[in-house]
Parts: sequence; structure tokens; C-alpha cells
Amino acid sequence: MPLPSGTPTSDDLVTPAAVMLGIRRVFGTGPAALDAVDLTINAGEVHALLGENGAGKTTAMRILAGLDRPDAGTVAVGGAPVTEFAPRALRERGVAMVQQHFTLVPTLTAGENLAMARPRGRLRPPARQVRRRVDELAARHGLAPVPTDVPVGRLSVGEQQRLEILRALDADARLLILDEPTAVLVDAEAEALLTVCRGLAAEGRAVVIITHRLGEVFAGCDRVTVLRRGAVVCAGELVADHDRTSLATRMVGSAPAAARSRVVTASPGGAVRLRLRGAALRRLQPLDLEVRAGEVLGVAGVDGNGQAELEELLAGVTGAAQGTVWVDDAPVPIGAPRERIARRIAYVPADRYRRALAGPLSLADNLELGRGPTRRPPKPRREAQAAPALTEWDVRATGPGAPAASLSGGNAQKLVLARELAAERALVVAAQPTRGLDPEAARMITERLLDAAAGGAAVVWFGAELDELFAISDRLIVLAGGRASAPFTPPYDRAAIGMAMVGGHRR
Amino acid sequence: MHTLFTLATLAAAIRLAVPVAVAALGEVLTERSGVLNLGLEGTMLFGALAGYTGARLGGPWLGLLAGLGAGAACGAVLALLMVVVRADQIVTGLAFTLFAVSATTYLFELSYTIGEPPPRIESLSMVPLVAIVLAVLVGVWFLLTRTVAGLVLTAAGDAPGAADALGYRVARVRSAATVVGCALGGLAGAMLVCGPLGLFVQNVTAGRGWVALALVVFARWRPGRAVAGALLFGLCDAAQLRLQGTATAIPYEVFLALPYLVTLVALMVRARRSDTPAALAIPFVRGRST
Amino acid sequence: MTLTDPHPPKAPSGPDGVLARLLDHPARGSRTALVAVPALALLGALVVGGVLMAIEGVAPLSAYGEVVRGVFGRSRGLSDTAVVATPLILLALGITVAYRARVFTIGAEGQYLAGALAGTAFATAAPLRALPAAVLLPCALVVAVLTGAAWSGLTGWLQSRFGASVVITSLLLNYVAAAALAWAVRVGIRDPGAFTPQSRPVAGLPDLPGTEIHLGFLFALAAVPALAVVLRRTRFGFRVEVLGASPEVLAVNESRPAATRLTVLAVAGAFAGLAGFVEVAGVTERMTPAFATGYGFTAIIVALLGRLRPVGVLVAALVLAGLTVGFDEAERVFVIPSATVGVIQALIIVFFVAGDALSRRKAG
Repeated sequence: MPLPSGTPTSDDLVTPAAVMLGIRRVFGTGPAALDAVDLTINAGEVHALLGENGAGKTTAMRILAGLDRPDAGTVAVGGAPVTEFAPRALRERGVAMVQQHFTLVPTLTAGENLAMARPRGRLRPPARQVRRRVDELAARHGLAPVPTDVPVGRLSVGEQQRLEILRALDADARLLILDEPTAVLVDAEAEALLTVCRGLAAEGRAVVIITHRLGEVFAGCDRVTVLRRGAVVCAGELVADHDRTSLATRMVGSAPAAARSRVVTASPGGAVRLRLRGAALRRLQPLDLEVRAGEVLGVAGVDGNGQAELEELLAGVTGAAQGTVWVDDAPVPIGAPRERIARRIAYVPADRYRRALAGPLSLADNLELGRGPTRRPPKPRREAQAAPALTEWDVRATGPGAPAASLSGGNAQKLVLARELAAERALVVAAQPTRGLDPEAARMITERLLDAAAGGAAVVWFGAELDELFAISDRLIVLAGGRASAPFTPPYDRAAIGMAMVGGHRR
Repeated sequence: MHTLFTLATLAAAIRLAVPVAVAALGEVLTERSGVLNLGLEGTMLFGALAGYTGARLGGPWLGLLAGLGAGAACGAVLALLMVVVRADQIVTGLAFTLFAVSATTYLFELSYTIGEPPPRIESLSMVPLVAIVLAVLVGVWFLLTRTVAGLVLTAAGDAPGAADALGYRVARVRSAATVVGCALGGLAGAMLVCGPLGLFVQNVTAGRGWVALALVVFARWRPGRAVAGALLFGLCDAAQLRLQGTATAIPYEVFLALPYLVTLVALMVRARRSDTPAALAIPFVRGRST
Repeated sequence: MTLTDPHPPKAPSGPDGVLARLLDHPARGSRTALVAVPALALLGALVVGGVLMAIEGVAPLSAYGEVVRGVFGRSRGLSDTAVVATPLILLALGITVAYRARVFTIGAEGQYLAGALAGTAFATAAPLRALPAAVLLPCALVVAVLTGAAWSGLTGWLQSRFGASVVITSLLLNYVAAAALAWAVRVGIRDPGAFTPQSRPVAGLPDLPGTEIHLGFLFALAAVPALAVVLRRTRFGFRVEVLGASPEVLAVNESRPAATRLTVLAVAGAFAGLAGFVEVAGVTERMTPAFATGYGFTAIIVALLGRLRPVGVLVAALVLAGLTVGFDEAERVFVIPSATVGVIQALIIVFFVAGDALSRRKAG
């Protein structure tokens, strides 16, 4: 696609719209979300911020928008340093962020939302005046108009997004940040959005688009910064100087895949344990898949491309909108956890505190979920019965009676596995099983999951870290735009997989 | 049956509806901001007592003013507990009402000597009271539909996260709504006592605060409908009072239950497409999405 | 977001601040913390009550002494306390089950009335009246229990089918039950021989041998350990705990939340219905318009003061009942306004709510 013309370059002697220097941000005791990040955004350009899951893109922009504060480093907007990190303060400096979850009030109309954001006086302006204001704004910046007398909750997602942008423009935002804006749009809307962004840049504003889609970068952006694991690997370089391959490589790294840590044990003739035929749900497009006993199937891809849906289908949390999901030649039970357990399907959810563990309940109680007799033994005996499992899985806590919420991430995950992998399994659904864990815990979890595979289970492993997936998967598929790529087999071609991850654009 | 629908019945209905309408209007404000105030009945009681005391000291208008003030004070306490401290709204409201029933009885008994009946106060006629109802209705309607403050209040109840993102302090908005709503509740209690009733007895509100709560749901949180609903409740109340003396095929108790049954049915028909403020009774904490 | 939130949220968010943490918080090993807040609330209320009495010119210590004597010093003191406590215990046990699952019904009053009415209607109906009490009363009790359960179940059905708020619908149903009571004593089950509206008399529950406490108290006492066992040792009790902690975890790992919610409401209603008819058969003998005394609401407070634990509920109910009985006696000796005991009881609640919320702020 042709490059946008007339875009200012850094040769212009203009104060950059925003400069972030040495930004560091750490959450809890995990690895740094951002480490020594330097970022410069110039006025009059459309700047792409590219990276995988967890690269730090949203974290960095939230700091810039005042929704978070850095642990170290400085931020300057329009040449002046930022001293107060609060949304209102940064809004007054002209920074506005359109987040993935909109901050509109769904029961109010578009006009009312605008009036609330920038009130002119104490009274609400009459409807006609509001409509004119919106239409005028939209026309001035090349956006399609938004219906103003309908509650926002009834607008389409594209219209809501436009309204968010209009609201930012109404406040004369000089630096507009869009977080994964095209994730919720159809192709035509996405193209229109990019055109709007170019127009805004031509007005002298700065636009930052957080994305993981290369198509957009080349379609509408002037410069690109790539983040990887909280560090900058490509700083504000001209898009024109790159091609798809070079950017994809920057995103996922170029180290050759490490020697595989496991030997493929699935025999070619192993029974098919998991079979999907045309299974579709929400963002997941109809999918055909087969996984055999003893096989580990890795699922890669940036969040939001159908992984959550696939996870729910496999675990029987939700039923497929179309198609079938079968385990051992019978459909997966939907909404019936005890049956799922009886069918020997283990589920290690991505959101372990929301779905797998009840925080206030004790460790022993959590182990009992879905299992255990109708007549429960008294508490001391239950806790005594739980103790061996806790030792075997090395769950470190003050005792079997401690509340699950007191466990660290690693121990919590071990507890979940202690429950789910207690007996031989037919299918193990492991969604981001090592997310947020220290290396030692991650290693143990990985080992145990691989043991389950060795025991004959089919394992589906949703992962964010390509290196991890390369190390454990017998086959790997990439989900992008709701569709699965053809399976990759070892030795894994990192560049090709990276390209598959970022190519996605719904047809 | 036609004796039912005379002007006298209508007058009785209005008389019965007035305090409930004002209390309901106040509760509409409070609930639209996201606070479920089960302490409304208690607030009305305190307002009634204040109204009676004020009226004895300086006439019925002072009584109304005293009711307004007492209500606002109750509102401040309730806001402190429910919004600032974030104690559970259901428990706090209930506890407050139970407390109010005993406290007002106690305070009232302190104020007169045993043996002497407590004096009647000069009472207001219906005309000024109805005028007050209409004034409050217009005020609440105007606030909710014509001012920016009304927008912010609605946002605090429907999408506090969005309001917070725009820089509005949700706790402040809710506290203000609670104080104003309770002030109106106190006024309603005072109107009950300083109106045709003209005196205070133990538990004088007799559950009207609870009726007002049901009324807000019935009215789908809209002020105009709240007043209309109050009139409907008042009609049913007047009808059942009227029927009590006569022998009819329909037992008067049907009219006792009718408003609540109608509300229940209304909930069945439209609960899915709910107008309930989305964050009602959920304390707002920044960082947790609502 | 992968790297941004490796730590679990502190407490489940939902329509209840204190109540939610009431279930999570009490440091499991620390019983003193559990008892401290209600005990201090009681103490605070008594102190304020004492001040109020002093203002009235009554020596507080002598008055409290009389209260204590009214309960422990008289021959009937303890039995009166037991009788007053009985409906509170039963009602509060039902509420405990519901609130542990975070189903906040305030319909106990209506379910109490509905159960009492149904049981009375059954026991005083023309053909059945003639049956011997030993047969009639147990059957009437069952009718009362089922009716209370159904009344509460209605709330549950409205919620699962229409998404209607449990708080609102249970409140509305209270009024419908009150109207039904008014009609029933005036017309439906009216005693034709009586001058004022009231039902026929219902055969009384026998007293416990050697005492003047009716059998209902035994039911209440037996229900305490029974419920404790159900909550701690059965699958249902487990599901109640999990539902209260996290409906989503329940749905993904154990069972459908809607079924548990409905059952919990039915159980609460069953207890309330039982309490209602026990009160008729054991105390009032007939149903009158004055039957509704607000026990359903007081019981919510008893349940909370008892920290939603069966034994705690028993203690809290006995304390509140003791205060009522003791003050009744004390009012014969001293000139204490009859509203004083109500104020003290209300202050216990208010101090408890404030104290509990504040103690959570400190704990974070």
C-alpha cells in the first residue's frame, strides 16, 4: 500500500508531541513490564506501537495517558515534563487515549456523553445543538457521523469507537492514542479509521496506534516502534525502511528455536482423542482440529484472536455456535462440570483466580471442587487427606486450611494442577499455564503437563511465549483473526510463525 | 362499587400519596446514582419527628424545614457509611431503619409527660402540600434531564468507571445524591405529620418508606412515573380504607396487595431490558470494572 | 494482559462490601476477632443505654441489675427468654444459609407470615380440626414449612427467569403476605365465634417436660447443630460456600449456580415458615392482625451478629431475647421508657455495622 504523503519527518525542528525516557514499570514481583523504554512521538505523524502479548505496549501508553505512573523515568508532553499522572491532568495537556474497553456511559446518548465530558455551563444543551456539534466535529475531521439521540449502548462498536475519538477531538487532543482500534472493526471500517488517522496527523496532531497487525502498520503509519518483553527493539523508525519480514522478526525475536526439550512420544497411529469439526464461537471461525493421545498441540497467537473461545469450547464452558467438539468420540459436556470431570477432561483456565480457584476457600476445599463425596468428612480429616497432594505438588502454604487467596501465583497454579491432573486424563486444556510464574514453578508445571501427555492425554496448550511453545509442542497452530493456520511441525520456523501471528485481518 | 370512585376517594388518595411521592422522588435520585437506600423509612421517621417538634416550636412551615434538615443529617450519616466506608448498603439501610423506629419512639416519649396526650399541631391543608410535591417533581425532573449534574449522577449509577475516567468523583456524587434524597425523605416524613394528620405517634410512617422503595422500582426510576405511581398506590390505599367499612365481593385486602402485585408483574415483563441503574448497590472501587 | 496482574484481586466484587468480606475475612484461626466486634457493639450499646437511663434519672447499674435478675433471677426468666428466642433462631438460621451464598433476601417476614397462615389454615380447617393434635400438628408444620419454602422460592424463580432483583422481589412479597394475613384473619380462617378478627385457636405445642418452654425451642436448638452439619459436611453446604465465594468458579468446576441459589432460598423460606407456625402453635395460639411483629427483620440482624454461623446465631438470638425479657421485668421496677430496649438493640446493630466496616478498612 502506498505510503501516506506529506508527513513531517524528524528533520522538522518541532518539539516532539511526547517523549518518554528511561521508563520502568514493574508489577508485583514479576519481571519488569517496561524496562528502560525510550519513546519519541512527533507531531503530525501516525506512529505504530507494535508487539506481542505482554510486550508492554498498553502499559507504556497508559502511563502516557496518565492512567498509570512509571516507577522510574520521565515523560514530557509538548516539551513540558509531566509531574502529575492522572487522566484529567494529561487530558488537559492534550493527551487522550481510546482504550479497548470504551469509557462511554451506555445508557446516555452520544450527545449526553459529549456534554458530560466537556460541559459548557451547568445546563445541557438542547438536542439540536448537540447534533450540530457532533456533525460538525465529525465533518471537520473526516469521520462518518454518529447518531446522537440513541443510547450509546445501542450503537455499533464502530460507531462507539468513532464517538470516543470525537470526544477526544472535542477536547482538542493533540496526541491521540488508540489501543488495538481495528480489533473490533470490519475491514471497511478499519480502512476508514486509518484514513481518519492520516487526516488527523495532517492537521498537526500525533496519533499512536497500538497494534499487532502488520497490515495496518504498512497501510497507515509513518513510524513504528517495536516492543518486545518490555524493551524497545526498534525505536521510531520509518515504516518505509522495513518490510513485513523485518518487522515480524523484530516482534518475535530472531533467535533460532532452542533445542527441543522433549522427544515426540505420540505414535503416528495413536488414537485421536480430541476432534473438532467446524466448531465456531464468537470470534473463532469454524475450526477443524484433531489431537491424538500423547500429543501436545501448542496454540500461539496474540490474545483476542479466538483463543478464549477455543478454551471455552474445549472445556465445555460454552457450547459451540456451530460444529462439534468431541473427546473420545463423545461430545464435550457443556455447563456440567462434574460430567466433564467424569469424562476425564482437565481444565487449567487462563484466568485462574476467576475460574479455577475460590480465593476465600481453603486449599483443601479447592481441591474438592467437582470431586469428592456427598457426605464430606470433618474438616481435620479433609485437610489431612489433602496434605499428601499438597506435598506431592510442592504447594507452599501455611497449611491445607489456608485460604487459596494467600498463595503466590506459582503455588496457586500448582494447586490447580494438583486438582485437575490428579488422575489420568483424556484431554488437558491448559491456557497460559505458566503465565506470571517464577521460572522454577514454570518448570515444574511444564514437566507435569508433559507427564500427563506421556500418560496418554491429548494436551492443548495455549501459550504466549513462543520459546516455551517451541520447546514443548509436537505441533503448533497459530490463531489469527479467528482462523487457525495450518499446523507447524518442528523444527519451528520462528519467522514464519511470527508472520502468521501478525498477518491476521478478517476477510 | 361506584361509591369507590368519588371525589372523596380521590382526595383521600392524594392525601395518602403526597408523602410517599416526595420520598420516592428522593429515592429516585439516590438510586440513580447507584445507592440503594433501605434506610428511607428510618429517614422519614426522623423527618416526621423533626417536623412535629419544629411545628410545636414554630408552626408547620418550620416543621417542614426541620424535616428537611433532619433528613439531610440522616443522609450524611448514611452516605458516610454506605459510600465512604463502603459498608454493605442492604445491611446498613436496614439497621438504620430499625434504629430509627426505636430511636424516634424513645425521643418522642421523652418529649411529653405521661398522662397528658401530646398536643396536636397546626396542620397545613392539602393545597400547599400538593404544591410542594409538584415543585419537587419539577426540580428532580429538571435536575435529571436538563442539567449536566443530572448526567453525571446517571453516569455514577450506570457506568461509574466511565464517570471516574472523565474525572468525576463517584463517591462525591453518590454522597450528594444520598444526602439530597434523604433530605427529601425527611421532608416527606414532616409533610405526613404537619399535613392533615397533625400529630406524631410511634411508627407514624407505618411502612410508607418501604412503599416508596417499591414505588421507585415500579416507576422504573423516572420521577414523573414515581408521582403517578404514588397516586396509584394512594388510590389503592384509599379504596381499601373505603371498602373496610362496607361488605363487598372484593375484599379490601386485594387493594392492599394490588400495588405490590402490579410491581411484581412489571418486573416480570420488563426485567430483561432493565432500566435498573447498572451499578445499583455496588460500591465503586477504582480499578474494578463495572 | 499477561504481565500486568500476577496477583489475585483481594475480594470478589459484587453488590456487597462488608457482607462479602464478612465471609472471607475472619482470620480463620482467630475466634477472638470474630467475637470481638459483636461483643464490643453490645457493650457500646449497653453503655449508651445506661447513659440514656441516667438522663432519665434511673441508676443504670441498678437497672441492668434488674435486667439480669429478670432473666436469671426469676423462675420464668430463662424459659421466657427461650420462648422469645425461638422464632429468632429459626428465622436467622434460614437467613444464614442464604447470606452465606450471598443471596440477600429480605423476605423472611413475608415467609414467616405465609408459613404461619398456611399452617393455621390447615390446622383449623373444618374436616381436619377433629384430628388428634399429635397427628394434626406435625402435618401442619410440614404445610407451614413447604409454604414458606414456596414463598421464598417464588423470589428465586423471579430471579432466575426474569433477572429480577432478589432484594426487591422479596420485599414486595412481604407486603403481599401481610395483605393475605389481613384478609385471612378477617374472613378466610376467621373464628366465627370471635368478636375481633382472629383465627380459630390452634392446638398448642406441648411444653418441654418440667419447663414452661414449648417444643418449638427444641426444634430451634436441634436446628443449630443440624444446620452446622449440613453446611460443613454436605455437598450442598459446600456449594453454598463456593457460590458465596465465586459463582463463576462454581459454574466452571462444580455445578450450576442457579440450582443452588433456588435451593438456598427455599431453605431460608422453609425455616421462616417453620418459625411462623411454631410461634402460632407455641405462643399466640391464634393468628391476629398483630401477628407480624417484624421478627423477620430482627432475624437478619441476629444472623449478622452471629457472624452467619449457626452457633453464633444461637448466642445472638439468646442475647437479644434476654435483653427483651430482662427489660420487660426491669420496666416493672424502674420507670424506664419502653422504647429503651428497642434503642439498645438498635444501637447494637448500628455499632456492629459501623465497627465491622471500620475494622475491615484497617485490615485493608
